[in-house]
Amino acid sequence: MVGFVELDGVGMTFRGRTGAYEAVRDFNLELSEGEFFCLLGTSGCGKTTVMNMLAGFDTPTAGQIRLEGKPVRGPGADRGVVFQGHDSLYDWLTARDNIAFGLRLRGMGRSERRAIADRFLNMVGLTGQGSKHPSELSGGMKQRIQIARALANDPRMLLMDEPFGALDAMTRAVLQTELSRIWSENRKTVLFITHDIEEACALATRVGVMKRGPGGTLKAVVPIDLPYPRERTSDAFMASFRQVHELIHAEIHPHE
Amino acid sequence: MNSRSATVIGYVLGFALLFVIWHLASQYLVSSVLFPSPFPVFERGWVLLEEGLLQESIWASMRRIIQGFLLGSAIGIPVGLAIGSFRPVRLLLEPWTEFFRFIPAVAMITVAVIWFGIGEESKIFLIAYTTVFVVIIATAAGVGAVGRDKIRAAQCLGANKFQVFALVALPATVPYILTGMRLAMANAFVTIVAAELVASNDGLGKMLWDARLFMQVEDIFVALISLGLLGFATDRVFRLLIRAFAGRFNPTM
Ligand SMILES: Nc1ncnc2c1ncn2[C@@H]1O[C@H](COP(=O)(O)OP(=O)(O)OP(=O)(O)O)[C@@H](O)[C@H]1O
Ligand SMILES: [Mg+2]
Repeated sequence: MVGFVELDGVGMTFRGRTGAYEAVRDFNLELSEGEFFCLLGTSGCGKTTVMNMLAGFDTPTAGQIRLEGKPVRGPGADRGVVFQGHDSLYDWLTARDNIAFGLRLRGMGRSERRAIADRFLNMVGLTGQGSKHPSELSGGMKQRIQIARALANDPRMLLMDEPFGALDAMTRAVLQTELSRIWSENRKTVLFITHDIEEACALATRVGVMKRGPGGTLKAVVPIDLPYPRERTSDAFMASFRQVHELIHAEIHPHE
Repeated sequence: MNSRSATVIGYVLGFALLFVIWHLASQYLVSSVLFPSPFPVFERGWVLLEEGLLQESIWASMRRIIQGFLLGSAIGIPVGLAIGSFRPVRLLLEPWTEFFRFIPAVAMITVAVIWFGIGEESKIFLIAYTTVFVVIIATAAGVGAVGRDKIRAAQCLGANKFQVFALVALPATVPYILTGMRLAMANAFVTIVAAELVASNDGLGKMLWDARLFMQVEDIFVALISLGLLGFATDRVFRLLIRAFAGRFNPTM
């Protein structure tokens, strides 16, 4: 039985003017279909590097990545990506046309596109805002559009790189709750990158903690067996939080 | 008061102030027949309009500008897109643009007249020449400035290379292209006047030259004001286009 996603001894060494830097070394991870995996780690430990390889933007310099048994070669519509910033939205298109972009690439007709885009606008709580352009939307709304755009394309899995990193705490909490709800409904496999422990514990079925670089790799995986929606003040949540926190703390202060 | 009417009122007052200062300067600062007050200039302008001479000159110059400008843009945009998109093309053609952009169009007037005579062709050539390199450089820079995440997002939505170009790189570059064309239009005004001063049978440059020969100082000022107003108007149009397209250029949807 093969895993849905397999990262097998994956490594990434960047070569530049300042010499070679091994950002990721011997990274092993297996994701099963429908799980919500949070990759947690301190800044610069190699989280984005791992995601970029899985997305197909970068090719690993060691090991292999497989999606449903097939090696990943370049980006493709089977892996939807939500980027950290919102520069990835198309300013010249309305929110609706941004969401329908992938459908348009496949040659879907206009009215069908529109119907699907409107459904996903509703799903991310932006009913009636479809005619606005990105410049007329707040940061939180833009991230909702990004999520809707990725989901509307119906990928096999979703890759999210600190999608709420640039938002204020309140907006972030709201979007976390909504993402949890959406995921509970469609059960897409998600790889979610964050450096926020609470966010990871609130969303994930499993949290992977990374060791910091050079040679960043997976240090421990903590399953979070709590029902959704998660009660952040419950004892069980606190216990998970503490467990992950200790792992991260050891990374931040390695010599204590 | 909304900001649009504030802008209009600002412009009207600004121009009025300019003419007041001009009038005062001509009355008290340099009172000389060589520096007329705005009133005789306007009178003369009115006469030239009634005789149809001013429109003729304006149309001669504007026609050349528009033709050369469109030709230069039609060449510059695809070449700029190619330079920005394909590394070999850039390596090959960048030396050209970096070389020719330092040879100003006014320096090419002599050779243009030798090649094309003093008719329309030489003017159109010169305007196209002055337009093309500015547009190429702006377009290529625009292609280079398309955000990496915009391209990546399209790729993982399933876009092939052609779709990335046509649906992402091209629309994202439109504001840069328009900005380049706006700069090129300013160059075109410089070039057309210089070319018509040196070698032409009509146009605003010719009007300036003739007025100097016959010491018609008012005519000189009429031609100068016409140039200023025409440039101002075309630049306004470009600014409106840029504002309309920068935020929401939508190619086909
Ligand atoms: N293109 C590159 N060339 C050279 N080094 C790189 C490159 N990309 C990333 N790195 C290095 O690899 C390491 C990991 O970077 P990465 O972006 O994956 O970190 P991260 O865990 O996503 O951090 P953050 O939480 O701050 O986003 C860093 O030390 C970074 O300097
Ligand atoms: Mg990162």
